[in-house]
Amino acid sequence: MTSNPNQQTGSVAGLLLCDCCHLVSRRRKQPGSNHCPRCYADLSVRLPNSMAKTWWLLAGAVLLLLPANLYPVMTVVYFGKGEPDTIISGVIHLLHGGMVPIALLVFIASIAVPVMKLVGISVLLLTVQRGWSLSKQQCTIMYRYVEFIGRWSMLDLFMISILVTLVDLGEIATITAGAGATAFAGVVVLTMLAASSFDPRLLWDLEQSVPEKSQKKNQTT
Amino acid sequence: MATRLELLSHQSLLLCHDCDLVIANRSVGSGERVVCPRCHAVLYEVRPDSVNRVLALSLTGLMLFIPANTLPIMNLQLIGSSSSNTMVNGVVQLVSQGYWWMAFLVLFCSVLVPVIELLILFVLGLAVKLGRWRQLAISLLKWQGRISEWGMLEVYMLGIVVAFVKMKDLGDLHAGMGLAAFIGLLLMTILTNLCFDRHHFWERADDIKP
Repeated sequence: MTSNPNQQTGSVAGLLLCDCCHLVSRRRKQPGSNHCPRCYADLSVRLPNSMAKTWWLLAGAVLLLLPANLYPVMTVVYFGKGEPDTIISGVIHLLHGGMVPIALLVFIASIAVPVMKLVGISVLLLTVQRGWSLSKQQCTIMYRYVEFIGRWSMLDLFMISILVTLVDLGEIATITAGAGATAFAGVVVLTMLAASSFDPRLLWDLEQSVPEKSQKKNQTT
Repeated sequence: MATRLELLSHQSLLLCHDCDLVIANRSVGSGERVVCPRCHAVLYEVRPDSVNRVLALSLTGLMLFIPANTLPIMNLQLIGSSSSNTMVNGVVQLVSQGYWWMAFLVLFCSVLVPVIELLILFVLGLAVKLGRWRQLAISLLKWQGRISEWGMLEVYMLGIVVAFVKMKDLGDLHAGMGLAAFIGLLLMTILTNLCFDRHHFWERADDIKP
């Protein structure tokens, strides 16, 4: 490592990064917690309990995904007639109505994105726990992607909040929200929290530990 | 472990927030970004004239906030009756239908966080510009980092588009004045965030005399 200081990590060098203001400071030798000298936030080498927290949030999201898709998200009543729509039946209605781009958009935001997020975060967690030899670079790109797209799942909820007031014409037409929307809101929030509680540096720690061990072995022999 | 790093003061070092790599800080020009050589995370980006631009843009956004939230965004007419929606009305309607949690989430992400973030950035700009209120500036910067990912005006905009396309066959659908104000608010929010140089603000806040 001496030959290549450019590949040293903060945890090895005894440096801490403030998650809040991104100031770098030296880790104190004496016991007790470290504080950022600039913004006084608690400092830690890695986000505390990152793995357990992320697993629990993910499990909650998976549990809520079922009611979110089985219960109706909204009901359109037109001249006294109307059936409740689930997320999937809403997409199918849009398709039958010939609105293919919008159907695709709603499908991506409400079905594809949440599922991809759950799978993506699971892969990241398993990579760290099982030491899967996936490319760390690609895992990090996936992590950034998962963090970025999460917010777009709110599309359906915003649309429902717009439609319930826009279509409020008494006897002629009304739109009401459904229980599925509440569960879906839970899915979005939990997956967003899961993405931000995961610490991508844990992925790169795997990279670090392998060559380090082999180096030590080389030195002793 | 007498590496070259030991010779450098820790102030001149950066740590990558995504892969924990130690990187020597170098002086960067305006508009340049510092990128982690290992995982390609953007560590920071120098944005020109950040403080003045944030002040101007956030103030404009704040002025558009009330019209964007209270004027009708869309208006639907069907056989003589009409109804229109505003951002705040949608939340009230959800509450009256009993969907408290969803109403709160919509209110939080599309109304509260965007306005709080603009307020925070405006006051921050003032504090840094005047060189006063060090404690306030530091706690505002902390709060900005925590809440900014929950502001979702751009997603709301897409929600308006989808609602518009879905309902355009139902009756006569018109855009209201609120839509113009909302688009203005959205643009100001995006531009404020594009001009906001977090790294620079933290350094300036730290320089304020207590």
